[in-house]
Amino acid sequence: MDSLFTTVLLNTLSLKVLMVMVIGILAGILVGTLPGFQANMGVALLLPLTFGMSADTGIIMLVSLYAAAIYGGSITAILFSTPGTTASAATAIEGFELTKQGKSGTAIRIATWCSAIGGMVGAFSLLFISPPLSLISLKFGPPEYFLIAVFGLITIASIASGSLLVKGLIAGSVGFLLSTVGLDLDSGYPRFIFGMSFLASGISFVPAVIGLFALSQVLAMVTQDSGSMGSGVAHYDKKDWKFFITLDELRQVKNTIMRSLGIGMVIGVLPGAGADVAAWVSYHEAKRFSKHPEKFGKGAIDGIAAAEVAKNTECGGALIPLLTLGIPGSTTAAILLGALVMHGLVPGRDLFTKYAEITYTIIIGFILANFLMAVIGMAVSRHIAKLTNINIGILAPVIVTLTVIGSYALGNNIYDVWTMVAFGILGYFMKNHGYHPAALVLGLILGPMAEKGFRQSLVLSNGNLLEYFFTRPISVTLIVLIVLTMVGPLLMEKRRQWKARIAG
Amino acid sequence: MKRRSWLAALGVIILSLLLVAGCGGTQSKEPQKQAPKFPTKPVNLIVAYGAGGGTDVTARLLAGQLEKELGQPVTVNNVTGGGGWNGWGQLAKANPDGYTIGYLNIPNMFAGYMDPKMKRPENLDSFIPLTNHVTDYCIWAVKGDSKYKSLKDVIDYAKANPDKLSIAAHGAGGDDHLAILQIEKLTGAKFKIVHNDSTSTSVSQLLGGHIDILGANVSEVTSQVKNGELRVLGVMSGKPSEFLPEVKTFKDQGVDVLMSVSRGIAVPAKTPPDVVQALTAALEKAMQNPDHVKKAKELSLSLDIVKGDSYAKFLKGEEQKIKQLMGW
Repeated sequence: MDSLFTTVLLNTLSLKVLMVMVIGILAGILVGTLPGFQANMGVALLLPLTFGMSADTGIIMLVSLYAAAIYGGSITAILFSTPGTTASAATAIEGFELTKQGKSGTAIRIATWCSAIGGMVGAFSLLFISPPLSLISLKFGPPEYFLIAVFGLITIASIASGSLLVKGLIAGSVGFLLSTVGLDLDSGYPRFIFGMSFLASGISFVPAVIGLFALSQVLAMVTQDSGSMGSGVAHYDKKDWKFFITLDELRQVKNTIMRSLGIGMVIGVLPGAGADVAAWVSYHEAKRFSKHPEKFGKGAIDGIAAAEVAKNTECGGALIPLLTLGIPGSTTAAILLGALVMHGLVPGRDLFTKYAEITYTIIIGFILANFLMAVIGMAVSRHIAKLTNINIGILAPVIVTLTVIGSYALGNNIYDVWTMVAFGILGYFMKNHGYHPAALVLGLILGPMAEKGFRQSLVLSNGNLLEYFFTRPISVTLIVLIVLTMVGPLLMEKRRQWKARIAG
Repeated sequence: MKRRSWLAALGVIILSLLLVAGCGGTQSKEPQKQAPKFPTKPVNLIVAYGAGGGTDVTARLLAGQLEKELGQPVTVNNVTGGGGWNGWGQLAKANPDGYTIGYLNIPNMFAGYMDPKMKRPENLDSFIPLTNHVTDYCIWAVKGDSKYKSLKDVIDYAKANPDKLSIAAHGAGGDDHLAILQIEKLTGAKFKIVHNDSTSTSVSQLLGGHIDILGANVSEVTSQVKNGELRVLGVMSGKPSEFLPEVKTFKDQGVDVLMSVSRGIAVPAKTPPDVVQALTAALEKAMQNPDHVKKAKELSLSLDIVKGDSYAKFLKGEEQKIKQLMGW
């Protein structure tokens, strides 16, 4: 064991490995920050480069890119409300508020270090608790996925609370309805496509998110015409930029971090739920447990920390079913599976015994890559942040160009660009009338997951749903959690009123 | 000053991206009249599915070899959405000069134009099929510790207890689903069909005990079979697969079903015959290159090179088979 440890450490710290790590991270941040370019595209493009490398070096480059791409999307989400990847949409809500207040440095600092913490813990768990976690993930069947989706949909209550709740629910339902567009998986029936066959695969999700967040924001900026983004303050404030997260900030978000680590891990090992779901659920829980829920939506650092920790923990978590069972939980993981197999590594027990040296080198490399990612990320984003002070007249066309190119590059077809534009206009009007676009995004993401889980449950239970849902332990636990989440705040409020009456 | 240099850098990035995107989509419309020397510029290879998927991996593997044979760069272009037809439609509508080629995916492309509800103008005649590349046969698998040891066990049980056993497939009209329909028709057995959009979800549902049988393809299960986590009951090919040599075919077990996904290369109809010939020759050489054969084997992709008329005949045959099964 001792000798294994030293070889692994020496392998990881070799110049070659460190070099590919930096290449992977830089490429990842680039892929992440460009809207429309997703982690899987970056990994697929770098894959051929790894054929000439040894297995551990090549795969370390790919996982570095993976982690950095998931993180990189948040830089532009915070600075320009332009989430580079869909996983960063939750970060955009609080992050962009902070940027508008001139605190982009704080937002980026929290996001960066929380991403790194999430990524490193995710990788550690890969090292120690892979096998048991992968077994738990298998226990999640169709009913559990349905319930997780429902759990995620409750998040709408966090995004649009109080008087806006009804509008949030309306936006969420519209999103849910839009998610049904396209060929029905079970019957092959083309739903709501009105003869437009490009809709057969459904509404392209990434262009929709780019439109709802980025294009609608640009439209809002241009119509406000305040010279600079949003409120007209200088968004890049040098004093606000510190390299490391401060102890005080860490203390403020430590509970959120712990909670989000757990959420990210559980959702990570589920092959059917991705980083975006992890980020939203964690964001909602952070608000629910927060002592200052009223700060959410106005630039709460807890909200950023929650989303960032969860989505990067998910990254490591997603590798668990891949390495232990050979089940790729995402497209990116599927490409990594191909890379493993190409290098003669078959996922499963062998990876942790026969090929332990390679596997542990990859995992330790992944931990190190997450740290390096934060260092490089802080250095790079500082310069990107200076762009926020640029006049809208220059910035708006640049962002619009990027959104168009990004939507096109995603699927190399013009329909995705139209989708992006349509959702951008929709998002603009929604914002103007108090409907939060994020609620619609949630409906879009979770709709298919909920529908599939529910319909599969129907088939598997022969229509006897109640018995099916209530005889499965995880399903029952989730139902109880959902009911508590929904009814809990109401009961607390009633109790407070009752106490107040007694006291009065 | 500093700000300006950053902007300049950004401008360069955008310009370069524009170029990349531009190269992918547009084709030169110049007609080639004189005896053409083919090819004189890069070739665009359309894949109707996203980066990292099975077809994409296959395509990128081939592109490297094809470049050597053609002496020109071959760019893989993922045109996604529309149930694959954004990509196939773009291929059909491309300039028929041989500089746009693409993968056809059988049987997945049939639903898009055969289902009358889709009202799609294109069909098989919109393409000239050049050569098949990879054929991935369908299999049925159960958990490694399942009580069902053979195909017969499963079929017998499903005949005696209709709609009790559940089986996963990936979408109505897809290869897994068509295989189930055909087997139900042949044997009289009845299954509960659960559709997943990716086979990896189906595998985890099987390993978690939520479903009983997995319908998938050979390349999708080889690693779990090596681990003993899955037991393959049979493969729907004419002879046993090179990747699962000890597994019997369905036919040998008394269920006469052949089903696979196959990926082959086609060009738009009206592509001149000499270009078709040049491309077919280059494709054949690229596919037979020992380096290519070795890499395909590592990925459990079984090469199945069927050229010209025989490939076209195969496509027509499959089209008929699907027509009957789905009632289109």
